[in-house]
Amino acid sequence: MSGTTEVTLRLNGRAITLPAEPRSHLADFLREQHLLTGTHIGCEHGVCGACTLFVDGRPVRSCITLAVACQDAEVTTVEGFEEDALMGRLRQAFSRHHGLQCGYCTPGMLATAYDIVRRLPDADAPRIRRELAGNLCRCTGYAGIVAAIQEVLQDPPPAKLVPVARKSRNAPAVSPSPRPSPLRGEGAERSEAGEGDAAVTAGEIPDGVRLTRSLPVAASPDRVWAVLSDIPTVVSCIPGAALDGPPEGETLRGRCQVAVGPMRAAFQGTARVSLDAAARRGRVRGQGRDGLSRSGLEGALDFALEPLPDGGSRIDLAMVYRLKGPLAQFGRPALVEAIADRLLAEVGAALTARATGAEAAPAAPRPLRGLPLLGAAAIALIKRVLRRE
Amino acid sequence: MKPAPFDYSAAGDLSDARRLLAGGAAKPVSGSQSLGPMLNLRLARPGRLVDVSALPELRAVAETAGAVTLGAAITHAEIEDGEVPDPTGGWLREAAGNIAYRAVRNRGTLGGSLAHADPAADWLIVMTGLGATAIVEGPQGRRRVAIEDFAVGPFVTALGAEELLVAVEVPRPGAGASWGYWKFARQVGEFAKASAAVLLDRQKGRLRCAVGALGRPPLLLGDPEGLIEGQVSPAAALRAALPERPAEALVLHVTALTRALAQARGGEEGR
Repeated sequence: MSGTTEVTLRLNGRAITLPAEPRSHLADFLREQHLLTGTHIGCEHGVCGACTLFVDGRPVRSCITLAVACQDAEVTTVEGFEEDALMGRLRQAFSRHHGLQCGYCTPGMLATAYDIVRRLPDADAPRIRRELAGNLCRCTGYAGIVAAIQEVLQDPPPAKLVPVARKSRNAPAVSPSPRPSPLRGEGAERSEAGEGDAAVTAGEIPDGVRLTRSLPVAASPDRVWAVLSDIPTVVSCIPGAALDGPPEGETLRGRCQVAVGPMRAAFQGTARVSLDAAARRGRVRGQGRDGLSRSGLEGALDFALEPLPDGGSRIDLAMVYRLKGPLAQFGRPALVEAIADRLLAEVGAALTARATGAEAAPAAPRPLRGLPLLGAAAIALIKRVLRRE
Repeated sequence: MKPAPFDYSAAGDLSDARRLLAGGAAKPVSGSQSLGPMLNLRLARPGRLVDVSALPELRAVAETAGAVTLGAAITHAEIEDGEVPDPTGGWLREAAGNIAYRAVRNRGTLGGSLAHADPAADWLIVMTGLGATAIVEGPQGRRRVAIEDFAVGPFVTALGAEELLVAVEVPRPGAGASWGYWKFARQVGEFAKASAAVLLDRQKGRLRCAVGALGRPPLLLGDPEGLIEGQVSPAAALRAALPERPAEALVLHVTALTRALAQARGGEEGR
């Protein structure tokens, strides 16, 4: 990785050039390199609004704006409004209406307030509240802040800070090919898995999310069971999964790399597998952790192999899982289902290939583009598949 | 939390960007309003980012008789403020104005949102409702992808590793066309829990009913005519399209579709 890049920008009216690591966001750059600590950092992922400041005259979240992306930009922080009559009026009004107490949200609130007064001269209280939705205050409350902005809106001084014109909008035209786009019909794809109800019930995980699926496999139950009973083979059918060593009795150690879009997680964990060869069913229970995203996953999965009239098989799955940590924020249940369906389709194809004696799956774990972040699904999977006689 | 280290390059133009993206390991970024949080949480750890927010080709706007093509790096705020032409006479502006918060809209881009393909995001469902086309460029040249074929899974698109979404072509609705877009979010600016978009464009023969925030790409329903004419209920249409989902998991989506349909029908009567 490259160390640092020189960033040149205008900061509160002054030209500066300083090194920045590419990964430094603007708020850290200002606070650490310039000691401009008026910009506050709250959630650090674009939700709380405490770090709101102006770039090129427009309010932005400085915690999700890279410093290196502000090359040649005009950056204005709460410290840069000394001579600004509108900001002066807002400060007085915030003070008069008790629009701040601890002051943590105040720099961001003032930035958003400035933008409201300048951009929405006719804003009423409900509109002001809507505009403030992206700035969280957790102590003094919003009533005083709204009142302060309303007061300034009655007779605002002209805003000194105005948006800088954006770069080229009509430069080289994109010139799309002139073909008309045909009107598309139905796009509702059905997942391959998902027919039929899993007859099995999963063990309970407190606050867990439940997911049931059926996975058709084009091979006889005898052959599928032979594959399912061989844990290393099953693991090799799961994209991104690998065992850390041979199974020890009923206990497995392994990992699963999962990827959804830009997100990546590498869960490492253990699972216990119990099999009932006579009934051709089994249960897996385990947990894993992705150290880098500090996210954890625990899950239980029951499965049963059923014969189909056409000589093929169906694996009925019922899983309950719980995701904890940052990843959980993106792990909406419906999302996990969609990911699980995509993963199951691949696993089903791989199992079928194995059970019918076709080509071996690649030995190395390969992260699956597009599948599963949700280790939820994946892991549950891993475990499920891992079972032992 | 701070992002894992990465390299960063700001591309000057499209050919520059394509050179930097060659090999498929680098990740394009424009406003970083979706990728930024994932970087900070270390859910995404790309080795290199290529900033495409200032590419002239991605900042361009082209108008033809039948459509407006918006560059992928046009921001939500520019659409909201009417700084770029809105072929729909205001539907895009309204949708843009209700994305997240103004501070996010000032940096977040149309193309970035689509390429990120969050199932709950606004542009994916709105563009699906409008029947837009993604203009994609890569090593094999330029290709067009119908928007309903663009997102193929949650956060996953049809873009190849070295391909870039360059622009979005939004068709102009015919005379008398009407539109409904309704989303439910627990708080202003949050991602939708359910959303739906309905296009009623009889002159151009385009009737489209799409349901979003399903945790998968938007669902384009197969019988828009039946829904619009009231022969098929929103609940029945969703049940038929998503039989594996329990009815109670679709209640909000049924409501979204019902309200979007009502808006579109109301718009038609109002003309």
